[in-house]
Amino acid sequence: MSAAYAMVRHRFASFAGTFVAVALGVAVLAVSATLYLSSQPQAPARYDHAPVLIQSPRVGTNDYGEDERRAWTTAEATDLAQRLAALPGVTAAVADPSFYVQRLERGRATGDATAARIDGHAWSSAALGGYRLTAGRAPARAGEVVVANAAPGQRLDVLTARGPETWTVTGTADGPGFYLADADAMQRASGVRIIGLTSTADEALVADAARALTGPAGDVVAGADRNRLEPEGVTRIRWIGAQLLIALVTLGAFATVFVVSSTCALSAAQRRRELGLLRAVGATPSQVRLQMYAETALISLLAGLVGAPLGAAAAPLLAAPMVGAGLEPAGFTATWQPAALVGAALLGVIVALCGVAVAARRASRVPPLDALREAAADPRPMTASRWIGGLLGTAGGVVLLATMPAMPLETQTTAGMGAAMLLIGAAALLAPILIIPLVRVIAWPARGTAAGMLVREGTLTGVRRVAATAAPVLATVGLTVLLTGTIATIEGAVGIEESAEYPATTLLVPDGTPGLSEKVTTAQRGDAELPTRVLVSHPGGITGYHAAGVTGAPEGAAPPSDIPAPPSDAAAAPSDAAVPPSDAAVPPSDAAAPPADDAAPPADDDAAPAEGAVLHTETADELGVRAGGTIALRWPDGTTADMPVLAVEPDAKAPITLPRDLVRAHDPDALTSLVVLSGDPAPGPGAEAVAVRDFVQREIDEEGRLVDLFLWALIGLTAGYTGIAVANTLLMATAARRPEFRAMRLAGAGTGQVLRVVSAESLLATGAGALLGAVVAGGSLFGMRAAVENELGQPVALVIPWGAGTAVTAACAILAVLAAALPVVRRP
Amino acid sequence: MTNRETAAVELRAVTRRYGTGERAVTALDRVDARFEPGTFTAVMGPSGSGKSTLLHCAAGLDRADDGQIIIDGTPLDGLSERNLTKLRRARVGFVFQAFNLVPALTAAQNVALPMRLARRRPAPGQVEAMLAEVGLEGRAAHRPSELSGGQQQRVAIARALVTRPAVLFADEPTGALDARSGAEVLRLLRTAVDRHGQTIVMVTHDPIAAAHADRVLFLADGRVVDELTGRPGAERIALHTAQTEQVAPRTGAAFR
Repeated sequence: MSAAYAMVRHRFASFAGTFVAVALGVAVLAVSATLYLSSQPQAPARYDHAPVLIQSPRVGTNDYGEDERRAWTTAEATDLAQRLAALPGVTAAVADPSFYVQRLERGRATGDATAARIDGHAWSSAALGGYRLTAGRAPARAGEVVVANAAPGQRLDVLTARGPETWTVTGTADGPGFYLADADAMQRASGVRIIGLTSTADEALVADAARALTGPAGDVVAGADRNRLEPEGVTRIRWIGAQLLIALVTLGAFATVFVVSSTCALSAAQRRRELGLLRAVGATPSQVRLQMYAETALISLLAGLVGAPLGAAAAPLLAAPMVGAGLEPAGFTATWQPAALVGAALLGVIVALCGVAVAARRASRVPPLDALREAAADPRPMTASRWIGGLLGTAGGVVLLATMPAMPLETQTTAGMGAAMLLIGAAALLAPILIIPLVRVIAWPARGTAAGMLVREGTLTGVRRVAATAAPVLATVGLTVLLTGTIATIEGAVGIEESAEYPATTLLVPDGTPGLSEKVTTAQRGDAELPTRVLVSHPGGITGYHAAGVTGAPEGAAPPSDIPAPPSDAAAAPSDAAVPPSDAAVPPSDAAAPPADDAAPPADDDAAPAEGAVLHTETADELGVRAGGTIALRWPDGTTADMPVLAVEPDAKAPITLPRDLVRAHDPDALTSLVVLSGDPAPGPGAEAVAVRDFVQREIDEEGRLVDLFLWALIGLTAGYTGIAVANTLLMATAARRPEFRAMRLAGAGTGQVLRVVSAESLLATGAGALLGAVVAGGSLFGMRAAVENELGQPVALVIPWGAGTAVTAACAILAVLAAALPVVRRP
Repeated sequence: MTNRETAAVELRAVTRRYGTGERAVTALDRVDARFEPGTFTAVMGPSGSGKSTLLHCAAGLDRADDGQIIIDGTPLDGLSERNLTKLRRARVGFVFQAFNLVPALTAAQNVALPMRLARRRPAPGQVEAMLAEVGLEGRAAHRPSELSGGQQQRVAIARALVTRPAVLFADEPTGALDARSGAEVLRLLRTAVDRHGQTIVMVTHDPIAAAHADRVLFLADGRVVDELTGRPGAERIALHTAQTEQVAPRTGAAFR
């Protein structure tokens, strides 16, 4: 190890590439791991004074693997809370209904839309957070509210699932949220899912007692388990952030391995003579290998010591941008995570050791006689593994492309992407043989000049150096062009496809809100579904389904766009009241919906037999029911119903379609996603009318924003590593060519001329790499477009990301010139 | 051949060819040679005569295609790369024409390197004593770049001798030095033979250098073609060198 230390100290320049790559890698790892570990699920602050909480019973998991829970009915929750309150040590047991409230200012909804979904509570639940009145009194009647930042007596404009309302502030709280009178809150919430206990006794004892009392009627959580109560919206946000962090860690680790391995390979090639000497004076092959490992371990440890604090310092700076980009919940801060730093530094060493493995193996095979060779010429830039890998990659890519038309449509784009990646990888491996003809062609015009000749010959004799420069540029430019181009092309194509789904020219969509309120929805002439989630019991268990409440007869559940007239009728009718069920009194008498007329008499009674569900074929198959059967479903408010299955349709818009009034009655907190307008929009708070195309574009942009964020974070990291690789290769290679430059100077070349030759060489190398990468990626893009066109059955515009490709190439070129010029200017 | 004690190095019908087919070159052609303990042998011959190949093969740096090489009683054939390295480390010392020292290490560290590689700690003062013996006391902490060419060669000799090897191979050790430094290096080698009974095999093309040896082997076309013994003077060696180059014998038989 002391020899390793001496070596590192002496030849620090040749370890600089490894050092920078590992330091950057460790910094990226440390930042990502710090942010990741800082982002832990946390019980809402509203439960800070409730050491024991009871969740409504779990019935299974949904498609995302999250718990599917059934709500307690108001009666169940009240009853359970009463019994829990009687337990020894429990000071209060509070059912915590929550519902959508958003404050309106000058007719516009304010605050975070997602968080607002559960911002309304019952006043008694304020005790769970330890919130108290600082002024005024508790709410007692409907229309009274306690909030923070409002004085008693003030009038408060809010938007709820019912519609815009004006409440009277009766008191000021010292915590966030809207607190209504308990009965009022119970009516607005769709069932109860949490009961909180406050207590003075030992929390474990209370939890055990609560568990014994509750039995299967709920899940008791205490201590750290309470953090499971993190709101779903927050969990999702953290999940998205975690995906980016994981991607960054993975890419950072891989890129570090590659840069370290290329740096070490170059450095081992340059140190061939020294390694030979070591072998001659008695170092066994494994000692040489160990020596390389020890050097790398040392350098990467030093790099880690630099990189980890760098990451720790950068993490808090990134917390705010992460929140801003929607990758972490509001209020997120990076905390001190020593495990992340130590882990990152250790991983840096491991990654560096992986990178040095190949070079170390090669170095250990240097024969002792190489100590006697003046110039350790390494004339074979193409190794057997390069040939094998390159040719296999090419073959794989070509076969994929060739068989693509025969594949199922939906796998074609994936196959195209895979083919492109394979071809790019193969081109990078085959760079040494592809570069030479390319350089000949590019340098052809300048063949007459002395500099041109020097550049051309210098490049052609230093194939290894040129390939080592060009290959990372090739891969980065190729990937950038491919990924940005593919995503831009697909986004364009998706726009075409989605706008085809909406025939109406205008939509009413949420504006700063999580959805549309009942009043705003029913004021429109148009067509809308009220989304909800129901739990269906079947022999295999209980499964949650997305259900759509539609106006009119359930059998009108065929795509609403097909029947423009009738739904608008019904939707327009109940504008008299914010409370919906009355609108069902108007039967869907329009003749445009004939089957409904036969099947269903006017349905204003929940028990009416003709009220029923329309199932999607898939749903029916899963549940094992057919038209004419019944399904046992549980509503979001906790009540159950046996619902006759009126029809099973293969092209139903939702897994289960139900009468809108029934959905509204059992899910009072449900919000409508959008209304397909068939008349002029009736303006309302938290809603805006937009053309279908604009709306689709907005959705795509929103989705695209995240995709772009991911894409550019990853491309940025890749390009950064390419920069290091290119700069390092050129720095080391140019430094090793100093004797050559000395000869050029002796032959009468000035420093300026040497600089020009060196710069031109590095530009030539980057240019050749970029060109190859762009050609391979561009070709693949054409293939991708063909696949997308097949999939959509219509022409798609190919988006070639000239800007992204040029930017990455330019960055590489600038770095390359600087790195090559530095050793020339700084003469030893 | 009398049955004496084990030779320091012995070559039996050693053949080494480079390349294959038409362009194959036979660098050593069934060479027999024996280097007795405590002797100083110079190997001479024109360029391409195979003298360097002989040294590399005898030292275990290069493998023979045919024949047998025995260092201090241990045959090299069949030794794994690892065991060969260990043998080299323990029984063989080297001094090359140039680039003998690891640039990153100080003179003392370079001298201690073979022992370190053998995972042995040098005895206290051993390295310093070795450096003093080659006239470099006070230079222990210098790096190769801070030493003159002659001093570097002396460090190399110290490193080669520190393990008390069965044989020290020197490949043109004075080739890159001025006359004075060269003479100093040769004097050191001679002293090692006289004082410590060190066996030395030295390849050189310089008759004056060869004159320090007890015996001179002449090589031509991969064969030993001549031999002088009993501290032949530089003039005699030069004469034989000239003859060797003239004859460049196809005869194969050595003449005395």
